[in-house]
Amino acid sequence: MRAMGKSRVLFGVFGALVVVSAASAGGASTPGVTSKQILIGGTTPLSGPASAYAAVAKGADAYFKYVNDHGGVFGRSIKYKYEDDAYDPSQTIQRTRDLVQNEKVFAIYNTLGTEQNLAVRSYLNQLKVPQLLVASGASTWGNDFKKYPWTIGYQPSYKGEATIYGRYIAKTRPNARIGVLYQNDDYGKELVAGLQRGLGQKAKLIVSKQGYDVTDTDVKSQIARLKSKKANTLMVFATPKFAIQSYSSARLLGWRPLVFVNAVSSASNTMTIAALASSKRQTEGSISIAFNKDPVNPRWKGDKAVTLFRTILKKYNGGQGLTDVYNVYGMSSAFTLVDALKHAGKNPTRASVMRAVTHLDERNNPFVLPGIVIRTTPTDHFPIAQARLERYHNGNWVYFGSIVHIG
Amino acid sequence: MNRVLRIAGGVAFAAAAVALVLVLPHWLSDAKAAEFARAGCFFIAIIGLNLVTGYTGQISLGHGALMAVGAYTTAILTADHGLRDLWTIPLAGLVAMAAGFALGLPARRLSGLYLALATFAFAVAMPALLKRFSGLTGGSQGINLFDEALSRSTGALGHVHLAGWTLATNDFLYYLTWGIGLVLSGAAWLLVRGRLGRAFRAVRDSEVAAASSGINISFYKTLAFAISGFYAGVGGSLFVLVSNWFVSPSTFTFDKSLLLVVGAVVGGLGSLAGMALGALFIQFVPTWAANLSSAPGAPSVFFGTAIVLVMILLPGGLGGFLLKLTEPLTRRLYTRSE
Repeated sequence: MRAMGKSRVLFGVFGALVVVSAASAGGASTPGVTSKQILIGGTTPLSGPASAYAAVAKGADAYFKYVNDHGGVFGRSIKYKYEDDAYDPSQTIQRTRDLVQNEKVFAIYNTLGTEQNLAVRSYLNQLKVPQLLVASGASTWGNDFKKYPWTIGYQPSYKGEATIYGRYIAKTRPNARIGVLYQNDDYGKELVAGLQRGLGQKAKLIVSKQGYDVTDTDVKSQIARLKSKKANTLMVFATPKFAIQSYSSARLLGWRPLVFVNAVSSASNTMTIAALASSKRQTEGSISIAFNKDPVNPRWKGDKAVTLFRTILKKYNGGQGLTDVYNVYGMSSAFTLVDALKHAGKNPTRASVMRAVTHLDERNNPFVLPGIVIRTTPTDHFPIAQARLERYHNGNWVYFGSIVHIG
Repeated sequence: MNRVLRIAGGVAFAAAAVALVLVLPHWLSDAKAAEFARAGCFFIAIIGLNLVTGYTGQISLGHGALMAVGAYTTAILTADHGLRDLWTIPLAGLVAMAAGFALGLPARRLSGLYLALATFAFAVAMPALLKRFSGLTGGSQGINLFDEALSRSTGALGHVHLAGWTLATNDFLYYLTWGIGLVLSGAAWLLVRGRLGRAFRAVRDSEVAAASSGINISFYKTLAFAISGFYAGVGGSLFVLVSNWFVSPSTFTFDKSLLLVVGAVVGGLGSLAGMALGALFIQFVPTWAANLSSAPGAPSVFFGTAIVLVMILLPGGLGGFLLKLTEPLTRRLYTRSE
């Protein structure tokens, strides 16, 4: 009874709103889009074990506010509602359902985490709600676009990243004895697969692979086993906490392999903690990849984009996160979304924004490394597919080699 | 005359409960309806626990694990065998019933604290077991019906159309859990007021006296565990739905089992009406405690204090308190006329 009454009232209100918005926008109405505003939403871990990643949403939000103060997109401001899921997929579902059904967002954007995005992908695709610039490096976002046409990722894929390491080792260290530490889930296994692909015929250089579960307290025994296999090259395919533990456990064992640390854990502040937890000698020479400008890297001192980054954070984020590369990631992702919205037409629809993000050709994103082009086509759904190798030296990352493609 | 009055009183009470359940969503926001639906799952599991602990006197600290059995039955049948989620609810109850029967076997030999420990071991081992058989259970990542089995998850896409009515998802889940809860509590009431209930209570009050009156003690103990398992299984199955069609081993750690015991004791062991209050207590008081202060450990202290206060002020639990409130009314009904 009551539900029917309520839905009738809702229907009436909704009908009135449709009439009003149709009159003002002069076209068919799209959820979340009014003449003044575009409402987007997403989830991020503001609390819980992965709350360090909250900067990804905060950096993006600060950039949108900056854009809004400079005229917005076609006169509309962008409102980004990011909600806490505590890195728990079941909460991601609940918050996302709420954003779509009650808040009526235009699109879901920048939701963080592989499991978290997998949890809502079918739902969003069934309702034809765009799932934009997913903050996870799983390759499924780019690979499975035929089955899930409303979903697209952003960052280089884990598989592609590890392929780069594999190729590099095969070329420069033909006698390496590789030990792999990996997180025992989709993310870790994808990196292992990429490494094997990159090594190609040299895959037998891998002498041991040790997995750990996210619920494990430490990785001491895994590191000890890798050392006992006489590995001289250590692949750390782990999240920051476990990456730091790898360095400190190796030091306790008096083991100093060449470390390849995945981009998930190679932010400067993570490396600083790793050096403190082990030693400067232990982290020296580590290798990783980068695609965003690292704000603490002296290489970018005086760089226009990093200066802008600091100004935006001071004005719109209370000056928080000035040294955090995750904030840079958030801003580069927000820059790409704004770019896509500009190409989605004066009256964007869900379909037109999907068309725009699958036709990106962005050469001017200031927050990514110079030379990286953010490009997509209807058959290539990997926006960032380039990166640079970098080596940790004297407490800073130093780029080496030219830009590499991640295939 | 009195018998008629008593039945009329029971019918009136049941009607009032049904009416309350029906109209409550009227005042609830969408998010609150979801929380009430979650409490509904606890309600069903606690009725089951009450049959074992309150009526038969066997302490079980393993009912969270029985909920897990029901939950995974629903998740696996829906995800891997193409069943619609709603049809798996009774099946989940039956599978958990078998598990409850197995859990009841040690109760034939053990009693009191020793039985509590045996059932507690079951609860502690459950998450590890679920991770061990990852081929079936999806390991530590769990099973997500909201993803691949979306089309078989009723209400997942936003609305449920039911006989010409359109219900929002959370309202639907609310009606589903409390509807099933009311039916099952009615069934429990019928069970305990008859021959079976008398046997249960006899076992609880004195095993020696019960045995000497010809009651097969081990039969009734395991039967109580099996019936109770059915309730926990149905509660667990519904818990998957209200947890956004998602289940993982961390959903059913041993503190779920302890929480159920708290709900049953606070609600008032041996009282059916109190179980609903116990369920609401374990659903809402922890959230309320977390809102008071976010200092580390503080919410647990508040929650603990609330339990202690209830136990000191209302030794019969919330259900006992209800009984006391309505005593002037019921005394007239239940006193035999000379």
